[in-house]
Amino acid sequence: MTARRRAMLGEADVWALLERAGKRGPLMAPVKRGRNSFAFEWVEDPGAVALRYVRTVLPPKRAMFPEREAFLRFRRPPGAGAEAVVSEEPYVLFGVHPCDLAAINQLDWAMGRRHEVVDPNYVARRGAATIVGMECLPDEYCFCPSVGTCDTREGADLFLTPVGSGYLAEVLTGKGRELLDGRVSGREASSEEVGEAEAWSETKRRMTSCQVDAEMGELADLLDSRYESQVWEETALRCYSCGTCTIVCPTCFCYDVEDRLDLTLMSGTREREYDSCQYPDFALVAGPHNFREERSDRVRHRWFRKFVRLLREYGKPFCVGCGRCTQSCTAGIGLTSVLNAVIAEARESAA
Amino acid sequence: MKGDRIGSGVEAGLYVPEIATIVGARDLTWQDRVFVVELAGGRSLGHRPGQFVQLSVFGFGEAPISVCSPPEKAGSFDLCVRKLGGLTKALHGLGPGDEVGIRGPFGNGFPMKAMRGMDCLIVAGGIGLAPLRSVIDSIFLNRSEYGRLILLYGTRSPRDILFPEELEAWSADPRNEVLVTVDEASEGWGGHAGVVTTLFPRVTIDPVRTVVVALVGPPVMYRFVMAELEAMGVPEDHMFFSLERRMRCGVGKCGHCQVDGRCVCVDGPVFSAREIKTMKESV
Repeated sequence: MTARRRAMLGEADVWALLERAGKRGPLMAPVKRGRNSFAFEWVEDPGAVALRYVRTVLPPKRAMFPEREAFLRFRRPPGAGAEAVVSEEPYVLFGVHPCDLAAINQLDWAMGRRHEVVDPNYVARRGAATIVGMECLPDEYCFCPSVGTCDTREGADLFLTPVGSGYLAEVLTGKGRELLDGRVSGREASSEEVGEAEAWSETKRRMTSCQVDAEMGELADLLDSRYESQVWEETALRCYSCGTCTIVCPTCFCYDVEDRLDLTLMSGTREREYDSCQYPDFALVAGPHNFREERSDRVRHRWFRKFVRLLREYGKPFCVGCGRCTQSCTAGIGLTSVLNAVIAEARESAA
Repeated sequence: MKGDRIGSGVEAGLYVPEIATIVGARDLTWQDRVFVVELAGGRSLGHRPGQFVQLSVFGFGEAPISVCSPPEKAGSFDLCVRKLGGLTKALHGLGPGDEVGIRGPFGNGFPMKAMRGMDCLIVAGGIGLAPLRSVIDSIFLNRSEYGRLILLYGTRSPRDILFPEELEAWSADPRNEVLVTVDEASEGWGGHAGVVTTLFPRVTIDPVRTVVVALVGPPVMYRFVMAELEAMGVPEDHMFFSLERRMRCGVGKCGHCQVDGRCVCVDGPVFSAREIKTMKESV
């Protein structure tokens, strides 16, 4: 029996689906870590998965682009050699909210198609994923309506929306169908249930308080006109350059590379790990010369990168409105507060 | 591993260096050493002047190094490396027979086509002469295809001068002019002293039939050189500058060489003055 494109699952069906996913192979899903904090983790016990959460500390990109990853094994000379370390083991990534799905789509471009070069490690891990999306409700940090990501389904193979005491499951790909097929099939959703699921979008918009005070189409030019804004300096006075904002960002993809030797010193791995444009040495070159020596240079770079440069190249801002950077910022710097201050300046100076 | 494909048809070898052998090495100065590197079976690297490779010293890492020999050189290629950090210090300890890893070549390279039939003004600062040596040697090997060759080379002090015998050989050709200056003249130095821009008044060029290629060290020098050339009347799309950034991947993924929306490793490293002027934080 093939699953319906839209099926109603009871909560027990969702637990059965998680159970099944966990038996099939690795399962990454949100789990509760602290009083109000959640993390995407490889779970041993599908029963520990959090079905409802607002946001995780680290985004689900870690499933396909881990914080630290060995991508090469080498032998030192004599008889030097090197071979790729690429994992293609299939896994299920469960509970991805629409903003994080949008972020995965952006990374698919950055790590996949951009510059017509394909990052083998990312693309292999991405291809190995079956992604189950999950509808959500915003808190005071979310601003997905402003950046147009709150209805994202692309990237998910199966998408769940809480309806009544159960979930409406949208089957979006063959992988999604295969995950449900025959075992957890639910029943056909009624038109009322479909209507209730569709109303989530409007509810989310209504509940979202944080916003960007500009259309995405005008954002790049507005920021570009305020390259010399005092806002960068003012923000820099509070910023610690700790890099938390970039580490928790679901769309940041810069990385550093380092060789790690085995204890024999004759072989080792080449590893990459998340880097941050906020670290003082990120744009350092020989000389030494630093192209973004001042903290304000680095602060401005982050906003310009996301809302000017990559926006122009990709067509959408490299920000999905998840609110992680604002919530995690040690200094309490708000992404939209800074953005809106610059937007206001740009409008004032243009008036 | 190169050429191996993973499930989705993607080549797995993007980050896998090819094992290459150092077949020659000599010290050029107290801090610079040139290595002659051979790929397996003497296979050609297939680079263009101005392109770079990612050089691995396994256990120490990988670094972008410009190729300093011309594409016409068969069987091996040259890398000139300054001893600066952990990787380059380890590399300086290597010699003939030692193995390194090579990925590449990467980047766009200098506009050799645009230089054909034109006078070539080459401005080099410090170790910037190394990548430009691939240009100069390539011009030399196809001498009739190019007009005058003028090299302006500035370096810190006489003991830092790279490729001294080659500077002699280049200047011996009557179609060439080679001018060298040092920032700090030491005792016994009979040549010119001052930064590289102080050499500009000593040459006469026809600005419309000249193409300039430059790699001049600290970013501020790029601005000075650009201003000098503009004052001489060289159009901004006849000036090409190679930018330096510390690329980790060489293929546009790691984000380290981003300059105002461009990636130096795939969109550059060579940009025209016209492009550089529109790129914030480029120089």
